[in-house]
Amino acid sequence: MSPARRFLRTPEAVAGAILLAALIAMALVALLFPGDPQAIAGPALLPPFQDWSLPLGTDRLGRDVLAELFHGARASLAVGLAAAAAALAIGSVVGTLAGFAGGLVDEVLMRITDAFQTVPSFLLALAFVSVVGPSLGVVVIAIALGTWPGPARIARAEVLSIRERDYVASARAIGMHPLEIAFREVLPNALPPVLAMSSVIVAAAILTEAALSFLGLGDPNRVTWGGMIAEGRAVLRTAPFLSIVPGIALVLTVLGVYLAGEGIVETTAVRRGLS
Amino acid sequence: MSGFTISRRKMLAGSAILLASTAMPNFGWAQTPKKGGRLVLAADSEPRNLNPAIVASNGVFFISSKIVETLAEASFDGKDGLAPRLALGWEGAADGLSATFKLRDGVRWHDGKPFTSADVAFSALQIWKPLQNLGRTVFKDLASVETPDDLTAVFRFAKPTPFQLIRNALPALSSVVPKHIYEVGKIEDNPANTAPIGTGPFKFGEYKAGQYYRLTKNTDYWGKDEPYLDEIIYQVLPDRTSAASALEAEEIQLAAFSAVPLADLDRISRVPGLKVITKGYEGLTYQLVVEINHRRKELADLKVRRAIAHAIDKDFVVKTVFLGYAATATGPVPKNDPQFYTADVPTYAFDVAKANALLDEAGYKKGADGNRFSLRLLPAPYFNETKQFGDYLRQALAAIGIDAQLVNNDSAAHIKAVYTDHAFDLAVGPPVFRGDPAISTTILVQSGIPDGVPFSNQGGYKNDALDALIAKASETLDTSARTDLYKEFQKEVAADLPLINVAEWSFISVARDTVGNIANNPRWAVSNWADTYLAG
Repeated sequence: MSPARRFLRTPEAVAGAILLAALIAMALVALLFPGDPQAIAGPALLPPFQDWSLPLGTDRLGRDVLAELFHGARASLAVGLAAAAAALAIGSVVGTLAGFAGGLVDEVLMRITDAFQTVPSFLLALAFVSVVGPSLGVVVIAIALGTWPGPARIARAEVLSIRERDYVASARAIGMHPLEIAFREVLPNALPPVLAMSSVIVAAAILTEAALSFLGLGDPNRVTWGGMIAEGRAVLRTAPFLSIVPGIALVLTVLGVYLAGEGIVETTAVRRGLS
Repeated sequence: MSGFTISRRKMLAGSAILLASTAMPNFGWAQTPKKGGRLVLAADSEPRNLNPAIVASNGVFFISSKIVETLAEASFDGKDGLAPRLALGWEGAADGLSATFKLRDGVRWHDGKPFTSADVAFSALQIWKPLQNLGRTVFKDLASVETPDDLTAVFRFAKPTPFQLIRNALPALSSVVPKHIYEVGKIEDNPANTAPIGTGPFKFGEYKAGQYYRLTKNTDYWGKDEPYLDEIIYQVLPDRTSAASALEAEEIQLAAFSAVPLADLDRISRVPGLKVITKGYEGLTYQLVVEINHRRKELADLKVRRAIAHAIDKDFVVKTVFLGYAATATGPVPKNDPQFYTADVPTYAFDVAKANALLDEAGYKKGADGNRFSLRLLPAPYFNETKQFGDYLRQALAAIGIDAQLVNNDSAAHIKAVYTDHAFDLAVGPPVFRGDPAISTTILVQSGIPDGVPFSNQGGYKNDALDALIAKASETLDTSARTDLYKEFQKEVAADLPLINVAEWSFISVARDTVGNIANNPRWAVSNWADTYLAG
């Protein structure tokens, strides 16, 4: 059975993939969505399903909730993917260097990793954004800062076992530069278990971004779901849909990313087991 | 509880009639103030320094005005809009060089010492003039305070000072603190700054950080039969959404200063047993203002400033951001001010086409992306409404081809960015109008103010004609001539737009039906509450 078919046989994976596909579609449609999502489009606080030109109603200033939701999908996905990519990149490089070099380098890098791991990642992100000032790039860096130690530790553990393998010894024997061995021979083989963490990291990054925006530390010039929930909170009793709609979107996205990621991991794990 | 109250009442001299009246069943007595009871209300901030003589701000007054009293309080029907408190009478000399206050007899501090004119002299010279945020301007020419007897204080000014200004400043700026407490050690470090001692109807009880402030009844208060309440508890509820639920759950009986979000008022007004009160804040008008950094070459151009004024739909702001609980502004003095306001100023109707034309005329053509130029917009974080107006203003500017990038900061960072570092192009600020333009309004446009003074002209604006007008008004003694100069001032500000006044708003109280004598003066939330009572 091919991995794709095995993937399709797992109901959770399929559900995740569908959710993720829907999210990506939303983000892409947002590119085509005309104009500024924050433009004032109608009367303020219009409830959903009242006016079909504004199907999900409007917020406190009369902005179209549906347009905001679609643009929010872009921000969430962009931040989630960028932060996860950055965390994985930093983590695997640090882990590989530490594991492959050993000795003092290993000690120093791992103690730095420990230091980052002991600070709660959300607090770190919070502190970083409040000092540097909120913008999308800063939020990505802030989230990556708190998440890279996980991948770093896993990469190091993998590298420790790989570096004893015969092909590494032979690479040494033919006189390859140690850095070349680390990044061309060892790292690619150490990556799969690290990548397996990516779905969890993406999901966590999306949630962290939403939490930062909720606390008013998101990029104020972009629509984000967390920001939408925070805006809606002031009118929670009179217009609960303003918080509920982006809240549901957030739940489905995180669930989709997680399920699809798990599905991929399961499929590849079985394949590895078979071979 | 009732046994406790009665034994306490017995301590009051001549309370036989009172005892008889309160011993009767209190059906149908809603209009007659009832004695006793504990008022629990929502507090959304926890000021550290509770000395209103040093920090004259509403957050401090909200709590300490019950403990420390001023010479006079604002009043709806009193002469000159004032009602006597620690002073019974006041008069300014014709030459503007002195003002005489006749003080109330038989007043005692909470520690039992008598209140005298020496306390007034000490507060004025040692605190209001050198230390107080607002007093520094109003009392800058105060040279000495003479105390011919214990109940007379004569303020002597080095330069003629309009008595109208002193009078208008009394409710907010004249908190009297005890000399015998403050003359020891450094005033700023005095323990009474956190546990104030005053002459007011309530004594400071205790403060538990993050939980509550407790004030207890001053049984030795000068007001006959007052105060009615035994205790006031300020329950700290920093989350604005929780005040409404706490009111509904009868955990608190009062939420002042718009602790209940505007969007919830419509719903809460229909809850039986709760009432929404819009009165009682007439003397505390906040102004929604677009502050402009005139160092930006585009914004130094009057045409651009006028274009921005035309781009703002003030009616939309009042209707949507303030849900109708505000008024549109025409200039730097709010419409509800009885003394100074004039409607005879240049106005800027909402007109996007005209705004675009003005910008074209100024030479800022739209680029390929539809933008003329971009700028930084810093909405003040203190109110939901200032932040929301920031969101609105960004959209309003987008409509005329100005790309505004919002920069959000916390309170401290906002004050630093705008008033010290000048790292803004446009800012949204909520200055307060305090009954006289000379108290805190003229400094918004006057030049020559040092860096770092919050809520002042930090936009680099300089207009010699306006500066001359402000200087002239500050030394004009005749009340009507002075009023006319401030009308002139409003015209000049509205014409030259050193800043753009968008709306004026004040606060809303929500209370249970049982709370009596609410909103009976224009500064009710920050007045002494001696006559506030709980029925039933």
